[in-house]
Amino acid sequence: MLNNLIGLTVNGLAMGVVYALIAMGLILLVRAVGVMNFAQGDLFMLGAYLSFTFIVNIKLPYWLFVPASLISFAIVGLIFMAVTYWPLREASYPQAVIIATMGAGYVIKELAYKIWGPVALSMPALVINPETGTTKVLEIFGIKLQWQYVMIIAVCAVLIVLVFMLFEKLYAGRMMQATAQDKYAAELIGIPSVVTIAATYMLVTMVVSIGGYMVAPVFFISATLSSLQLRAFAGVVIGGFGNLKGAIIGSLIVGLIEAYATLQWSSYKDAVVFIVLIIVLIFRPQGLFGEKIADKA
Amino acid sequence: MLKIKNLHAYYGAIEGLKGVDIDVEDGKITCIIGSNGAGKTTLLKAISGVVKRFGSMLLDDMEIGSFTPRQVARAGITHVPESRHIFPGLTVEKNLETGTFPWHGFFSNASFTKELDEVYELFPRLKERRNQLGWSLSGGEQQMLAIGRGIMARPKILMLDEPSMGLAPMLIDELFEKIVEINARGISILLVEQNAHIALEVSHNAYVMESGKIALQGPSISLQHDDRVTKAYFGSLYKKK
Ligand SMILES: Nc1ncnc2c1ncn2[C@@H]1O[C@H](COP(=O)(O)OP(=O)(O)O)[C@@H](O)[C@H]1O
Ligand SMILES: [Mg+2]
Repeated sequence: MLNNLIGLTVNGLAMGVVYALIAMGLILLVRAVGVMNFAQGDLFMLGAYLSFTFIVNIKLPYWLFVPASLISFAIVGLIFMAVTYWPLREASYPQAVIIATMGAGYVIKELAYKIWGPVALSMPALVINPETGTTKVLEIFGIKLQWQYVMIIAVCAVLIVLVFMLFEKLYAGRMMQATAQDKYAAELIGIPSVVTIAATYMLVTMVVSIGGYMVAPVFFISATLSSLQLRAFAGVVIGGFGNLKGAIIGSLIVGLIEAYATLQWSSYKDAVVFIVLIIVLIFRPQGLFGEKIADKA
Repeated sequence: MLKIKNLHAYYGAIEGLKGVDIDVEDGKITCIIGSNGAGKTTLLKAISGVVKRFGSMLLDDMEIGSFTPRQVARAGITHVPESRHIFPGLTVEKNLETGTFPWHGFFSNASFTKELDEVYELFPRLKERRNQLGWSLSGGEQQMLAIGRGIMARPKILMLDEPSMGLAPMLIDELFEKIVEINARGISILLVEQNAHIALEVSHNAYVMESGKIALQGPSISLQHDDRVTKAYFGSLYKKK
């Protein structure tokens, strides 16, 4: 029972950090350009598909896969920005960009369908058991954990810390934050907002795409991957909208709830997540960490 | 130091500046006064390059009339905008840090502790509040922060747009003493004010704007008692003492 619980905790945390990556990307875009990106899950899915192509179709060695995939993710981010944001940046109603991201989501799904076909693809795990060909099992103190989950937690946690540091600790990151908070003041100071906005789009796309690549071996790669975005939304709302730390913790909570829910109500785990979300909204509409308006300002 | 000749500015088809000539003298405080809607803010925006503008602007011997906002900032002209525009979600110290961007750029490692100390010496209040977020400051503190952020840019010319706006009279006096002190440290100042009384008091030279043009100009002392200044305001906000 205890072993089982620890195993579930690890699985829950692994999914939680993935949701946290998606959620963090959502918040960065909201803060940098004022856009709620409804195609975030689709970019996530596209990251998984592109990785599949690099690893399974082209069979790139690892040392080539890493830079090639990162560059392609960044390019996807730039194209996404050029299509959904740039032509509409001066539209008289800012919702235009948000609607455009919804449209872009459908386009990405359809493109994936055309390129990679309707059949779900299976991505090899990072650490493989040579006998079974599936993910290797890590055994510590008699507790069995799947290597892939451990890797997900490690990689995503490092990414979360890196992005956090970039924005909070580096000079360039603070200029990006500044532009997000007041474009006019940033322009007067001479900060080129095109550069910081493009950098944000590229960074966000890279981060969620890596998330897609990491979870791909756990699920099959198919259009349903994009629906994980809903869990990230739940995490953002539970944590308190607009707050980076809150979104990360909220997403971890969603991952854990989902994992523990499988103990009792396996087929209803989505329902359990959203029931918790509704309860939070009833008792703390501003989210768990949402009291400081300042963070989203 | 900055000589502006025949400057025009446009908001779409609307002409906001209709040919303005101004000299900002080295080491002096030059003020632009005029009633609401006269085009004072537009003039500063035109100098910064954030509105469409045509005309000649000579900074020392460099023609900056077609510079982008980034180039203007790097050339040493710093614009402290109307209603402050501080970054609400950054701390006081990080707000100040953003001011260094024109000479620092994204990736250098240059230190700005000297500038920071200078601003803190000028506004000890900001030092007390250094870790507070921008939005939580009072109006007067936000104005100090906006000006402090401007000083961080190592400006040759500091342009201030209505620093007195929304402040209590006592705070206004205190703030304008600081502006004089900044000027005494060798920074030329282009001051835009609706409050003609105090602007004429602290400045050396003055221009009165009216519907996008210069209506009147001269040494501030001589304009202080000029009835035409009152007329230019149509008695709106300026009350002669
Ligand atoms: N963004 C804008 N679009 C169109 N007209 C504007 C804009 N900003 C200012 N104006 C017009 O330009 C004129 C001068 O405005 P402004 O420079 O703000 O005056 P001041 O700062 O002296 O109060 C006003 O008639 C105003 O209506
Ligand atoms: Mg104005």
